[in-house]
Formats: sequence, C-alpha cells, structure tokens
Amino acid sequence: MSAGTHSRLAPRRGGRDAGRNTFGLLLLAPQTLGLLVVGLVAVGGVVQLSLTNVNVLAGTREFVGLENYLRIVSDPDMSTILSNTFFFVVVLSVVGTVVALALAVLLNQRLPGINIFRAAIFIPALVTTVAWTLVWRFILQPEGLLDGIVGLVGLGPYPWLRGGWLSLAVFALIQMTKNVGINVMIFLAALQAVPQDLIDAARVDGAGRWVRFRHVVLPQISAAILMVFMLMISGSFKVFELVLLLTNGGPGIQTSVLAFEIYRQAFRLNDIGYAAALAVFLFALVLLLTGIVWQVRRKLVFHESA
Amino acid sequence: MSQPDRRRSVALRRVPSYLLLSIIALLFIGPILWMLSGSLKSISEILRYPPTILPETFRWENYVQVFALQPFGRQFLNSVLVMVLVCVVTLIVAIPAGYALGRVRPVGAAAIFVALLSGIFIPPEAVIVPLFQTAADLGWIDTYWPLVLFTALLSTAPVAMFILRQAFVTLPAEFEEAATLDGASRGRTMLQIFLPLVRPSIASAIVFTAWFSWNQFLEPLVYLRSQEMLTVPVALTLFEDPLAGPRWNIQMAATTISVLPVLLVFLVAQRHVVSGLTAGGLKS
Repeated sequence: MSAGTHSRLAPRRGGRDAGRNTFGLLLLAPQTLGLLVVGLVAVGGVVQLSLTNVNVLAGTREFVGLENYLRIVSDPDMSTILSNTFFFVVVLSVVGTVVALALAVLLNQRLPGINIFRAAIFIPALVTTVAWTLVWRFILQPEGLLDGIVGLVGLGPYPWLRGGWLSLAVFALIQMTKNVGINVMIFLAALQAVPQDLIDAARVDGAGRWVRFRHVVLPQISAAILMVFMLMISGSFKVFELVLLLTNGGPGIQTSVLAFEIYRQAFRLNDIGYAAALAVFLFALVLLLTGIVWQVRRKLVFHESA
Repeated sequence: MSQPDRRRSVALRRVPSYLLLSIIALLFIGPILWMLSGSLKSISEILRYPPTILPETFRWENYVQVFALQPFGRQFLNSVLVMVLVCVVTLIVAIPAGYALGRVRPVGAAAIFVALLSGIFIPPEAVIVPLFQTAADLGWIDTYWPLVLFTALLSTAPVAMFILRQAFVTLPAEFEEAATLDGASRGRTMLQIFLPLVRPSIASAIVFTAWFSWNQFLEPLVYLRSQEMLTVPVALTLFEDPLAGPRWNIQMAATTISVLPVLLVFLVAQRHVVSGLTAGGLKS
C-alpha cells in the first residue's frame, strides 16, 4: 500500500513534500513530546530510584548502586511472591485463553436468544474491577453465599480467603470471569471471519467436527489466539487489585504478588528504592514474556492479518 | 414426521445447549444479582446463616445511607469529570497523530509509530513510584493533574492513536486528491473530509478511554487524599465501620449505583462498547 503512495508522490516537487512533512510532524508533535516527557520521567525515574536509598522523612536520596537488586535475590519472601505471580501468569494466560476460546465456540452457535448469553458473559467486563472484587468479597465472606451453596451438599465452610492454594484459585476465578468477555468477543469476531466455504470444503472431504476445528478453523484464528494470549500475560499482573482488596497479601505475604509488593514497599513501608527495583524487575519480566510470545508468534501464526 | 413434530424435536435437541449456557451465564450474572439483593437487605439479615436469597423487606433506605456516609454524589461527579478530561486530552493528541500516521505519513512515520505504540507495554504498576514522586515534587498530590495527564499520555493515547490510525489508513486516497484539487487546505481536508468518516473509530477510542479511566484504582488511591476529591472505585472501598467491619448492605448499594450507568450505556450503545473494549483489549 505504501509503495503505491510513494510512486504517486515521487514526481511531485520537493516543496510539496516538505510542506507535507512539516504538517505531519506538527500533528505528531503533541503526542510524541507528551509521551517522551512522561515516559522518560516514568521509566528513567524508576531505574534511577532503584539505584538509590530514599529516606522519606529526612527527604534525602543516597546512591547505593545495585544494593536494592541484591536485596530482591536474598529476600526470603520473594520465593512465595514470585511463585504466586507466575501462578497467575500461567493460569490466566493458558487457562484464560482456552476458556475464552471454548466459550466463544459455544456462543458461536445459531440459537434463538444467543445474544442474551453473549451479553451476560460480557457484563462483568463493564463493571469496574473494584466493584466486581467487592461483590465477590461479599460472596466469599465467612457464612456468605458460597458457604451457603457448598453447605447445601454438606460441604464446607471453607476458609476461602485465608491463604494457600484455595485463595489463589479463588483469585484466578474472580479475575478470569471479570475480563474473559472481552476475549470471547475477540474470538467470536475471528470465528465469524473464517470463510464458510473452507469449512464446507472440509466437510465434503469427510472431515469430522473436531478435525474441521483443529485443521481448518484453528489455523485461521491463530493470530487472534496469540493476541489474546499476550493480552492475558500482561493483564495477569493486574490481580494486584484483588490482592489489595481481598487479603492485603496476607496472611503474612502468603497471597502477595509482585505488583502488590511494589505498592506495599513504596506506599506502606516507604521503602521507595526497593519498590523501584522490584518495579524494574516486573517491567523486565513483562517485556521478556511478551517478547518470547512475539517470537513464537512468527512460527505458529498461519494467517497474519494484523 | 409432521411439521410441529419436527419443530418440537429441534427444540428438544437444543435443551442441553440452553442448559449449559444458562449455568455459565449464571456464573457471570449471579454476582450482579447477589449485589442487588444484598443492597436491599438489613445488616442483620445479611449476617444470618444460611443466607436468604431475596430480602425479607426491601430496604431502599440503604441507598439513602450511601449519600449520608460519604459525599458519594460529589465522588461520582469527580469520576465523571476525570473521565471526561482524560477523554479530551487523549483525543486532542491522538486524532492528529493517528491522522498523520495513517494519511500524511511524514518522514520517520514508521519509527514514530513504533515509539508511540511502545507506551502500551509500560505496565502502570511498574512506574507508579516515580510518577508519584514527580507528582509530589510538582505539588500535584490531591489534584486531578496526574490522573488526567499521566493516564492520557502514557496509557490511553497510544491505544486511541492505534485505533484511529487503522481507521484513517483504510480510507481511499481519492478523497484527499479531490479535496486538494478543490483547493482545500491540509487542515480543512483533515477536519472536514476525513474526520467525519472515522466517527465509529472515534467512538471506539472514547469508549475504551472512558472505561480505562472509570476503572482506575491504584492511581487515585495513590494520588488523592481528601474524601471530597476521591473517585468512585476508591470511595467504594471505604464503606466500612472501623469496629464492626464492612457495612455490606450500604457498600453493595453504592456498588449498584456505580454499576448501573455503565450497564445503561452498554444497552444503548452495545456495538460501540464491544468494539471499543475489544480494540482497547490491547491494554485491558
């Protein structure tokens, strides 16, 4: 497309091109400069702070080199916090993507009233994370709705929010139901864009339901799958809000995650330098994970539409 | 088989599908219904076990209590104000940038596009510490400046720019040539010819930006101090009694008030909302 534009522009006089460049760069200036300033303050600032020790009360900053990073390595809490963080990355990205795809296939049927079910799954995405989390806290309170439901079959009550794997699983469920609707919509759009004649041709060739899905539909929507997978990886760090509202990372640091630990160190313990080092670590982690997926994308994605 | 018989067998075959769909839908809608029911109960009924499904008496006064315990009306308007300002700043920078990258394509456009898009990959949780320090240095604590400017420039404008660029790129070049022949200036071509054509994408960008701002919790929690300045998500967490714990019924009433307008917007503009949130899925 751009090649065509260029060949049309080529014979034009330099003056017109210069005017075009000035006009274009002028339009780009506000956003570019704005992002440059804020981005520099944000990213440059966090790296700089991570190399210092900030005394909030005295208002002094002292350069300490890599000391804060060494503290991450020796921090005994880190093994719990990191394994929790990775638990959410893996569960929310893998299970989250599979569940979204399964729901999309289920909702792709032609049934009367199917739109009501599509809307139902989308509604939690419209509610703020805080509202969704507070409602779930209400459901999970001791002797609340969930205890009442499992009590009907003679189970429980369970300590839903008192740490351990049960709490992590509950967090994953709350986070997943909150945003899966958006991914379902992305998959539904991709599924409906698969050419019907391809599927019909496969059916004529005698391919069964599963074979048609695996070998015809799946390659066609692979770009959407990878996009959703990547979104879920970066989105998985967002469980922070749930942790803050449901358990405060407790008991102890049992249910804490990296993003919550940054908040706790910076704004509750006033350990700005250490929080900044954790933030750089989180940033590097996000870039590394999305970078890996982006590389894998090249090998796997059959149909490049983006 | 006669006609009504066949119809009945089709309907019967659909029963398992509907059953499965209903159970799944309940997982997503159930919490919302439980919120509604809880918002109308008395606190003693809420603490009873096993819980009652529907309130014994509908206590509408819970909704009055919401406004007595906190300046909730003010806080609601605060959220709306911040949301509008974030949308305005985002559109002011993203529309020209999207147009420049989609249609004007000056030198270096490809590199600038990648640079602007990189904002999407900065996790807000990772940069909150230096941004807070900067806001403190500038005297911006307990003001909306950091909430509006940092959010718009760092988080929403890159996504809005991306949505708009995609829209501008797909428009045919003939419009531009015709406008130039008619002697329209570059600025007029952009504002009068192209801008009206991308209205659906502008709607998507607004929906995404408004949703992102309305949802923010960490930022207002960190930047805002006084109760009159708070936005809704932070205010919702404060319906607690220091001794008795959460005032569940009042909190659920406040949460209901915060959820209803968004659901109304969804019912009115379903298509724009879905396209805005999925396009903005880039940063959800």
